[in-house]
Amino acid sequence: MTKLESIDYTLEYPYTRSTGPVWGPFLTGLRDGKILGARIGNKIYCPPLEFDPETAAAAEPDLVEVGPGGTVSGWTWVTKPTTKHPFDHPFAFALIVLDGADTAMAHAIDAKTEAAMRTGMRVSAQFRDERVGAVTDVYFVPEADAVDQEIAAGDEPVAITIHSIGVDISEPLSPHRVRFAEGLRNGKIIGQKSPTSGLVYVPGRGYDNMERVRMDESCDVEVADVGTVVAYTTISPIQYHGQTETEPYIRCSILLDGADQPLGGIDIRDMTPEEFRTGMRLKCVWRPPEERDYSDLDNRGGGLTEGVYERWEPTGEPDVDFESIKEHTW
Amino acid sequence: MSKNNCAVVGVGQTKYQTTRGDVSMAGLVREAAYRALEDAEMSWSDIDAVVIGKAPDFFEGVMMPEIYLAEALGCAGKPILRVHTAGSVGGSTALVATSLIQAGIHERVLTLGFEKQSESNATWALSLPQPFSVSINAGAGGYFSPIIRQYMIESAAPELIGCMVAFKDRQHALRNPYAHLHQHDLTFDQVVEAPMLWEPIRYSETCPSSDGACAMVLGSESVGDASSKPVAWVQGTSMRSEANTFPGRNEVNPRASRECADDVFSQAGITDRRREIDVVEMYVPFSWYEPMWLESLGFAEIGEGWKMVEEGATHIDGGDLPVNCSGGVLSTNPIGASGMIRFAEAALQVRQMAGEHQVDGVQRSLGHAYGGGAQYFAMWILGDTKP
Repeated sequence: MTKLESIDYTLEYPYTRSTGPVWGPFLTGLRDGKILGARIGNKIYCPPLEFDPETAAAAEPDLVEVGPGGTVSGWTWVTKPTTKHPFDHPFAFALIVLDGADTAMAHAIDAKTEAAMRTGMRVSAQFRDERVGAVTDVYFVPEADAVDQEIAAGDEPVAITIHSIGVDISEPLSPHRVRFAEGLRNGKIIGQKSPTSGLVYVPGRGYDNMERVRMDESCDVEVADVGTVVAYTTISPIQYHGQTETEPYIRCSILLDGADQPLGGIDIRDMTPEEFRTGMRLKCVWRPPEERDYSDLDNRGGGLTEGVYERWEPTGEPDVDFESIKEHTW
Repeated sequence: MSKNNCAVVGVGQTKYQTTRGDVSMAGLVREAAYRALEDAEMSWSDIDAVVIGKAPDFFEGVMMPEIYLAEALGCAGKPILRVHTAGSVGGSTALVATSLIQAGIHERVLTLGFEKQSESNATWALSLPQPFSVSINAGAGGYFSPIIRQYMIESAAPELIGCMVAFKDRQHALRNPYAHLHQHDLTFDQVVEAPMLWEPIRYSETCPSSDGACAMVLGSESVGDASSKPVAWVQGTSMRSEANTFPGRNEVNPRASRECADDVFSQAGITDRRREIDVVEMYVPFSWYEPMWLESLGFAEIGEGWKMVEEGATHIDGGDLPVNCSGGVLSTNPIGASGMIRFAEAALQVRQMAGEHQVDGVQRSLGHAYGGGAQYFAMWILGDTKP
């Protein structure tokens, strides 16, 4: 049984960063146990910059070591860290002016308790045992808690870094999508008929985007599970992080009988491009009710969800004439 | 409604390539911006405002990068605006910048589009689910291929027209030192024999994935008049958009495209489009979009755009309407910059500063960009005289 209240998913990718002439040495320094600032005009900026932030004038890299001690110029307490935060227990995000620098760096302080935090307090850098050339190689503690560390320098300078950046998203399933899902559970495809134009949208959107009117439950109509291929392509999958497709497959749009807008994004894996064509008549072959899975149904879909059907099979009827379907390219 | 005149007084581009691993994102945009300032004979302090555009933030995984790039672009104490209209963003960014000059709000505006696509994967970034929006789920090629097939059926165009466009643009790119693809030994047969990626689109008929940035300095009438170099005067600007799916939508020749074109040509006082425009920089990420847009823009009758391709009318050598002399999107595609490159190359042609890919005697050019599911459009017409 699939829940029909919300859709939860994570967007995440291992992004690369090319660091350039200043951030590269800065990150290399962190890996090697040093914090570097940049002398630009008569100021030392930490973190360092490639340019003067006040005038945008170019600044030749002139890096100097700062810290490891510093003074807190502002802070906030994080009571519930997320998986992306630098600690798994409460900590402070703070602005820290490192000794020898003129500007503050935003970073994390492992202060144990909020009571230990105050503006103007002294802190000191501590380096993590595993360092990769990232700003998270370092963190700060109240000066009294700092311990001496022996840091061995690494080999190659840091030039490219990789960061898994992501966001967890939870969105409520819209009411019309809940009804659409309930229809699929019963082997029915529910669309919505515009109260203004009379056109039938499948799936419904909860509104008619042409007439700009709301479509509520009273607009729901059942359409056939038989239709006509109005568009298709054969996709040769490009490989990237998270790609699950490896073999070419057909993706098509099907105009169901009784609908005015085709279902999109229907994947066909048991027919060849040679036998596939626009105008072809196809019928949905449903999975048995107890096997229907709509866990990947979301608010966006322009099609069905793959878990509810086994395949689309030709009905054997004659093809539909191109002229009568040519308005439906997708 | 009267508008103040606006001129393109500076253009700057980075070399486009698969990976610019030697620079940070800030370094990349500064390279293009600095070259535009240099061309305009200005410094950072001369600029009143910056208008920046790029494609979705998922491409680099930096949310709202305009905030972090503000200081890199000299915006301390100045306004910066971010524009986003999918692939057309480079064009619409330039038009927002233009409107700041035309409205008399600023004298000198720096506008810039960029993408650092090497930081992720474009097909991933265009396939991912996003809250409350329809995912096209197979990259841009999977989306556009059925539309292209529809055009091929309706126009009865010969099968290799798309290959002709791809081969032409790659030849043009050899004359543009900034272009990403420089395929010196490419033959037409190799274009034809390339594997189908999203049938009927061959791999050779698709755009590359590029890192790069393109910038322009736009100035008021007095700034344009004071320039020591030729400037390009804005003679018309237009943007349109429409939903990407609705019953009865003409996806091959969207109404938003036709109406955007009618508007921009009308503003420029142009009645015979093919004769009065000397060169076009058109957004063609998949080869068949050249004949499709030639029709939609009114350079050819409906169903006949492919004949211009077949006759060589869009080739820089001997064509009466050269299209994408820079090599186009098919040779260079840092998505957020691609529309800006079209607009900037249109300016270089009018300024007679396009180097080896300059067309002789250009007086008027069209810069064109589209984005999303062929649903956002941005166009401008430039001339060597004030409107």
